[in-house]
Amino acid sequence: MRQSHAAVVERYTVLRGDFATEPHEAGWAGEARWFVHVLDASSPTARLNLHGQISPDGLNWCDIGEAQAVTGADSVVSWPVREFGQWLRVRGSTESPDDWVKVLIYLTLKS
Amino acid sequence: MATNNDRVAADEFRRAALLANPELSRFNPLPRILAYDQFETGTHGWTELIGNHDGYSNLDTVDDHMRDFRPPQLSSCTFFDVGTHGAMSGNYALKVATRPIAGHTGVAIRRLTMSGRGLVQFETYFTYKAEAGSAENQVWEQAGAGEWDGNIHPSEQQFGAFTVATDICDPGGLRYHCVARYQNTDLNNEFTRRWIYPVVPEPTPREHLEGKAKLSYTDDFTAPDPADWRTFGEPQAFCYNEVPTKVNWHYLRWQIDTSLRRNVELQVNDQIFDMRDIPVPPYAETYDSLDNLLNFYVSTRTHSNVRNFLYLDSVLISVDW
Repeated sequence: MRQSHAAVVERYTVLRGDFATEPHEAGWAGEARWFVHVLDASSPTARLNLHGQISPDGLNWCDIGEAQAVTGADSVVSWPVREFGQWLRVRGSTESPDDWVKVLIYLTLKS
Repeated sequence: MATNNDRVAADEFRRAALLANPELSRFNPLPRILAYDQFETGTHGWTELIGNHDGYSNLDTVDDHMRDFRPPQLSSCTFFDVGTHGAMSGNYALKVATRPIAGHTGVAIRRLTMSGRGLVQFETYFTYKAEAGSAENQVWEQAGAGEWDGNIHPSEQQFGAFTVATDICDPGGLRYHCVARYQNTDLNNEFTRRWIYPVVPEPTPREHLEGKAKLSYTDDFTAPDPADWRTFGEPQAFCYNEVPTKVNWHYLRWQIDTSLRRNVELQVNDQIFDMRDIPVPPYAETYDSLDNLLNFYVSTRTHSNVRNFLYLDSVLISVDW
């Protein structure tokens, strides 16, 4: 049976401006998928730009895959990551520095 | 009817079976093994601790100091300088990590119940580390950083504390915690390298809801007032092994007695601490819905704006009932 694991990486966290999630070590996993759920936002047009990142050491990072975005409250965006090596995180920013979003971010992993 | 000789023979046979098993021979279990965890096959029930929430699944109702204890990770102990270090039993260990925020705590918990009373023993092979420096984290600018003298590395003084603890509730609702914390540095980031215990029970979500406790995000959830901690035994130094990227595994064996609601003893490598006289304060009020609760948690707490990590290679929980 394959191994799987779901991690709540951000829980009801309010994001403003630039951010990066905590490094998550996942070298055992063959596939990963991010779920970013915007629970609340400063306005219906508040846009959160996101990009998955990978790292060989948990310290130095580069982007992987396509940029993602989600706008307004009660919205979810999800995307897969494959062949990522060892560490995963998401970096992002609110498009306007005046905006904020409240998020629930899951990282789901499978061997 | 079993004679004394039969019992001796059975004990010798059991001991021989344990010694012949390369996975178990490094432990000293009590007669019944409740759980044996190595982390090649998942997290084995070790999960993030979180405070309680309301009936609407609204996580805004979770206490601020219990809402971000971080998900445990399956770690190959991989570092920037050597790549994969690996664990003691195989490639993977359970890693509990803090955020790089002074006062932040990472907590993983394992949830069981009791089918008897008596001795309970928690054994693990563990290690701990502060995060290595990088251009992004700039740990050399953070509290605790000092000069590298070729032996002691500055990161060692940026590791705060780790804790092994229980949450136990007798039938009828009498609830208590046995707790042992290794404090590597004090809140001023000076080495203390001592074992400490709290003299108050952990604040609970119910106490918050009743207006008795309101803690902030980085408050110490085990016992928030530093004045409520006492030392036991002599200071103990470990093999941090100079840099944040060398992993040496340490043996820990902690025994409690649930029939007496007391600690018994703590062995960490070559030191054994008698914990029989250490008080274990129960809650003044009883708790429902927790009959026979037997939880174990491990935590790591940083005293600097530097990530701290606690790694468990393996865990064995055994009982004499």
